[in-house]
Amino acid sequence: MIKINNLNKTFYPNTPREFQALQNINLHIKEGELTILEGVSGSGKSTLLSLIAALQKPTSGEIIVDNESIAKLPDFHASQLRAKKIGFIFQAFHLFENLSVEENISLVLIPLNFSQQDINQKVKRALQKANIEHKSKERVSNLSGGEKQRCAIARALANNPKIILCDEPTANLDKTNSLKFIEELKELKEMGKTILISTHDPLFREISFSDKVVEIEGGKIKI
Amino acid sequence: MISSPFFNFITLLLFRHRNKHIAIFIISTIIVSLLSSIIFISKSIQRDTKETLKAQPDFIIQKIEGGREVDTPIEWAEEFAMIEGVSHATSRVYGRYFLKTYDKSFMIVGVDFFDEQVVSTLKKVVDEIDIKEFLKTDSMIVGDGVKKYLKEQYYEEYFNFFTPDGEQKKVTIFSKFTPQTEIITNDMILMPIELAKEILGIDQEQSTDIILNVPNEAERDNVAYKLDSTHFNIRVIQKDDISKEYQNLYNYKGGIFLLLFTLSLLTFMLILYQRYSMIGASDKKEIGILRALGWSIKDILKLKVLETLSIGIWAFILGIIIGYIFVFIFNAPLLKDIFLGTQNLEFHPHFTPIFDFGIISSLFLFFIIPFITAIIIPVWRIAITDPYEVMR
Repeated sequence: MIKINNLNKTFYPNTPREFQALQNINLHIKEGELTILEGVSGSGKSTLLSLIAALQKPTSGEIIVDNESIAKLPDFHASQLRAKKIGFIFQAFHLFENLSVEENISLVLIPLNFSQQDINQKVKRALQKANIEHKSKERVSNLSGGEKQRCAIARALANNPKIILCDEPTANLDKTNSLKFIEELKELKEMGKTILISTHDPLFREISFSDKVVEIEGGKIKI
Repeated sequence: MISSPFFNFITLLLFRHRNKHIAIFIISTIIVSLLSSIIFISKSIQRDTKETLKAQPDFIIQKIEGGREVDTPIEWAEEFAMIEGVSHATSRVYGRYFLKTYDKSFMIVGVDFFDEQVVSTLKKVVDEIDIKEFLKTDSMIVGDGVKKYLKEQYYEEYFNFFTPDGEQKKVTIFSKFTPQTEIITNDMILMPIELAKEILGIDQEQSTDIILNVPNEAERDNVAYKLDSTHFNIRVIQKDDISKEYQNLYNYKGGIFLLLFTLSLLTFMLILYQRYSMIGASDKKEIGILRALGWSIKDILKLKVLETLSIGIWAFILGIIIGYIFVFIFNAPLLKDIFLGTQNLEFHPHFTPIFDFGIISSLFLFFIIPFITAIIIPVWRIAITDPYEVMR
């Protein structure tokens, strides 16, 4: 599902601020696998996720997502890839605080040109899957941390993506909610989603259903 | 294609972000209402002037002696009537009547009320007039400013003029000019030519000028040439010259105001540009989130253009409505005084409602294009930046 070959990412090249975030990364993730990217802050985990989501372009190397090379995708195609195939769960939720839960979820579906009726159906389904249906009309600013995370999960599931990328998903949650999130991850895996989680939360070391744990240090995969 | 959920989302954003947009909306509305007020005033004055000047003769002939305008012999009227192309010629008098004590003046115009053509022209600028009744006594038709001023001086029915011999001449106020002519007739008094001569002290064999009508436009240059070649001592003024003079006067005033407000509009656009260039971290984050969720740069720009367009269109519509009400219902207080300048007599013009779609459309483009550009350029600069960088 995801193939990464000889991937390098350098920020601010040829300037005094030049910084090599990722060096020679090679990684193969099969469909339906749950992979954990471990590493301290600044190790390059989030950068790797953003490259897989085509949010950034690599300096060199190849990224293949669902049999499509995405390293040099133009903006429109990269956006389509994210809209159709990737669900993102961010560290700080990155929800629109002044919109309701269902309005936040529908944001993923708007660029796909669905009708309002289809959007409503898909939102409803995502709300059910993430167990946040009862808060659908609630403004995000009124939700607890755990509810926000469930809203973020619902948003990530709304377009029924093949891949779910989680960037430090438990960083803003207490232990109880983090454990709940891990349970929800298990459900997502059971749905057949390919999941990639970047984290430095030790709770993830204990989960039994992960297929692969990749440790990144200083922009390199630690062997 | 723009789907209805896209529009729904824009409406939702506008409503939820209303506090963010309210200042821009209010300033835009004020600028549009001021700009449209000036256009409405200018267009209304131009139209009224044009309509009033239609009642003017095609030619005015004045006698010049030693480079100075002097009284014109009335027999010239008969002579000029013989020129080919001239359908009608008559003499006319006018002069300013000063009320020394009050530092005010009236413009007295005397015409021949027995002349059918004069009477038919007169009916275009006076609501209703029975000439027989009018001529029974010494009567006059007055402008709105004159009527109001005389009323203040307790002359509601008549006014006592003083002739050059010091005699009092009682003249009845018979009628008033139509409101559409106020721009020109505010301080005017129209009376029979003999009466006007008596009050102004002009010899009965003389007049101030001779007026001619030349119905065929193609003949006017020929007539002007014939007049010039047969009389070395005359000044020929054509109706078009007077019309242009009035139009230019108000065009010039309107132009100055438009220039001032254009500058304020540009300043506002610069402020907008600055405001969106210094877009807050939360706005940048929102754009970054949308990009991460699969919105393309094109989608983001489309969203912002439509969002801005909605604000701009509503502000424009409201501004035009306010401008229309301000000018045509409230008669443009303050702006009217600046526009028309200080008047000899108190002047309360009633601007005739006019709505020029061509000008309003131009104003819309003139407003909306810089408005969108001022916002879209900084938004585009943020939209093309790395979304992950923006979100972090």
